[in-house]
Amino acid sequence: MEKIKNISGITRFSFIELFGPILIITAASCLIGFSSASLMLTVQFALCYFVMVLALQVFVGNSGVLSFGHGAFAMLGAFVSGLLTAPVRIKNNALSMTDLLQSIADIQVNLYLSLLIAAIVGGVVAGITGVFLMRLNGLAAGIATFALLGVAYNFFFNNTKFGPGSQALPGVPKFQNLFIPLLLALVALVLVYLLNVSSIGRTLRATREDNLAAPALGINIIRVRRIAFALSGALAGLAGAMYSHVAGTVQVQDYYLGFTFLTLSMLVIGGSGSIWGALVGTLLVISVGQVLLMMEQGKAIFGLSIDLPNGARAIFIAATLVVALLWRSSGVTNGKEFAFPNFKKKSN
Amino acid sequence: MVQAILDAISLGGTYALAALGLGLVFGVMRLVNFAHAELITISAYILVVTNDLPLIVSFIIAAVVTALLAVAMELLIYRRLRGTGPAIMLIASFGLSVLLQRVYELIFGALPKSAAIAPWMSGEVKVAGASVTISSIATVVITVVILLIAGYLIERTSLGLQLRAAAIDFKTARLLGVRSNRLIAAAFAISGVLAAIVGFIVVVENPQVSPMYGVNITILALVGIVIGGIASLRGSALGGFMVGVILSLLNTFLGNARVYAYSWLFLLVLIILLVRPGGIMSKANEMERV
Amino acid sequence: MSLLEVKDLYSGYGKVEVLFGVSFKIEPGKSLGIVGPNGVGKSTLLKTIVGEISPKSGSISLNGIDVLGKGPEDIVRLGLCLVPEGRQIFGGLSVTENLQLGLTGRKDKSTSKKALDKVKEIFPVLTSHAKHQAGMLSGGQQQQLAIARALIADPKILLLDEPSLGLSPTVIKDVFDQLKSIISNGTSVVIVEQRAHLVTSFADETLIMRNGKIQARITPEDAKDELKLKHAYFGSDN
Repeated sequence: MEKIKNISGITRFSFIELFGPILIITAASCLIGFSSASLMLTVQFALCYFVMVLALQVFVGNSGVLSFGHGAFAMLGAFVSGLLTAPVRIKNNALSMTDLLQSIADIQVNLYLSLLIAAIVGGVVAGITGVFLMRLNGLAAGIATFALLGVAYNFFFNNTKFGPGSQALPGVPKFQNLFIPLLLALVALVLVYLLNVSSIGRTLRATREDNLAAPALGINIIRVRRIAFALSGALAGLAGAMYSHVAGTVQVQDYYLGFTFLTLSMLVIGGSGSIWGALVGTLLVISVGQVLLMMEQGKAIFGLSIDLPNGARAIFIAATLVVALLWRSSGVTNGKEFAFPNFKKKSN
Repeated sequence: MVQAILDAISLGGTYALAALGLGLVFGVMRLVNFAHAELITISAYILVVTNDLPLIVSFIIAAVVTALLAVAMELLIYRRLRGTGPAIMLIASFGLSVLLQRVYELIFGALPKSAAIAPWMSGEVKVAGASVTISSIATVVITVVILLIAGYLIERTSLGLQLRAAAIDFKTARLLGVRSNRLIAAAFAISGVLAAIVGFIVVVENPQVSPMYGVNITILALVGIVIGGIASLRGSALGGFMVGVILSLLNTFLGNARVYAYSWLFLLVLIILLVRPGGIMSKANEMERV
Repeated sequence: MSLLEVKDLYSGYGKVEVLFGVSFKIEPGKSLGIVGPNGVGKSTLLKTIVGEISPKSGSISLNGIDVLGKGPEDIVRLGLCLVPEGRQIFGGLSVTENLQLGLTGRKDKSTSKKALDKVKEIFPVLTSHAKHQAGMLSGGQQQQLAIARALIADPKILLLDEPSLGLSPTVIKDVFDQLKSIISNGTSVVIVEQRAHLVTSFADETLIMRNGKIQARITPEDAKDELKLKHAYFGSDN
């Protein structure tokens, strides 16, 4: 009984928990994004990462089952949306696309429609693979989802009929402004929050698997995990597609180990139990990365100029993750949702 | 044909050694150590950098440094994370892996470093009428010898008994006097030496060492452990061996489609896991133990 | 100076407190029973003594040495060995390997061989099954193996958590007879049991626990008074 009571994170809808993060994202995106063109790009990428981290939060954060497979859904979403929106002229003439299937080369759809399709494809594929994968637990689940990522990467890297292979797909239309990715991120946030406070979210957290060995899974748990996996697959597909429209290109390497590592790190650093954790983690990692990048470029930050050697940035980011885990293994937010700072001692 | 068989066995043996190193550490602390890759990498780097020294000296330096790095990982990072759960430790090891890759990049540069290590090994000899490379024979011999030594260590010595007992039930092992910190450090040291040997084997074949040199083999060894059955070291080694053999065979027989070898391998892994979640060596309905 | 002295011990798991000021001592060559219904904190007490969980406050000393903050592996070496609940033998390892593991906690390694022989003398069944997997043994044999494995470390004091669990009455009698001979060899024994009657007549003194406290201390003489025993065990309101 004790365990049920102590489910980390939210259990009931709370206005503050949802609108606090919404306000923070909107304010941060606008304030930082409109300060310079390069920061605008950073903010757009950050929003893509945030959607991906939300996708991971829904499944990994709630169920405690590790998944390395979400990179595969993001990759799929990026390829779908990239190929659907890239101009026919480019697809028919680019050197990297000589083998592309004619039927793919000749389609072109609207950006918004393609984002929707990417999410649906991600969700459907996650739904189908989830039917099998969700029977697994712990390490077996981790390796199986990794195998999924491996297959997707190996396929897209080598196949030139359904994409540019190891090369970049050129001409993917970029988002025209900050508000589209921002809106998409907010929609994802609301969806994830509503799911988390629903009975699905509660069941998932009640059966959280914090260690590799779990007792035999009941049918109900498997069903709930499948639903969450499909939904998080759809969000991952959306995140991948958004990423391609920020980068203006699709490259298979962008969605492989580095991407998987970075997004999982964001979730864990922030605290995997809540959307607030997902937000804090994303913000923290992106900011550390951005500040270090500016130092590398010798730019002054708050009037302070520290020169960093090239390559130090990547070391600091990885070190941040390790140190963050050593400092607080349950994440910066400790898995709690957003709340106003409370200086009064809690009565409980 | 003889070469193909030798290649399969030597690749299998190499992955078995990598899997054994990973399995040892997993056994005592339920840690999937992604950073094992960087142990293999550092060994390869040291062998390349110290290539002017006699091979044996060069190898001993590599083995000592690798083992020390492995123990340092435990003392500085993993020891402090004990009890936080496998998922956190896995992510931490992932972070440590990337961290070390970047450190290597800073020290050795992003471009591959290379040196002809044991050049005599690339020669060929006639075996049963077919010519095969010396390195493939040497690899088979080395892996068999090391696996035998490891088998003796694990099955016949007091340290091995403690390692096995701790892998089954660390709590009870401690009640009997097994010193957890020392035993875990020992497991890391042995896994470091195994990684150094793997580094040696692969660097002879492919002397182009870059920061991510050990990642591929580690991932495949991990896959091997899980399909072999993480519950036992024997299963881990066998799984690693199988992955190597299968991959080698796929490369030989897929012809032009060999670029998709990994896809087929991973699909096979998925199928095996779905049929036997606890690995091939587990009983059908046995759950993963912790 | 007592062999084991527990003073005013408060302990529990995280925020959940289980023990509220437990104190007792035991002298060399004596036996002590600790009884009480499920959930009164008997196992928590043992886990705290062997160092698996650290207490909130209080003190535990072994032969005058303060053992607070020491882990189980160190406490074994100070001469205190626990036979855990459910025996926890290594089922996949052979009987001999299980016994060899017991040697890990032994201080004097030069007499290991002798210790092995001596234990096999007390438990002859272990010799005939030496090569078998321990998991293949019967429940009673497993319990004997668990006790033997602990004895090999040459403890001055042996703790047993629910040794009768899952055993038939005749086997229980055998096990308690063996414990008697262990005590007569000078080893102190602490037996934790849910089934009070097994211990009250056996041990030199029996503590009855309730709600994380020691409710009563009784001698075998008192145990004959059934009513008194019941009152102590279930509380006076029953």
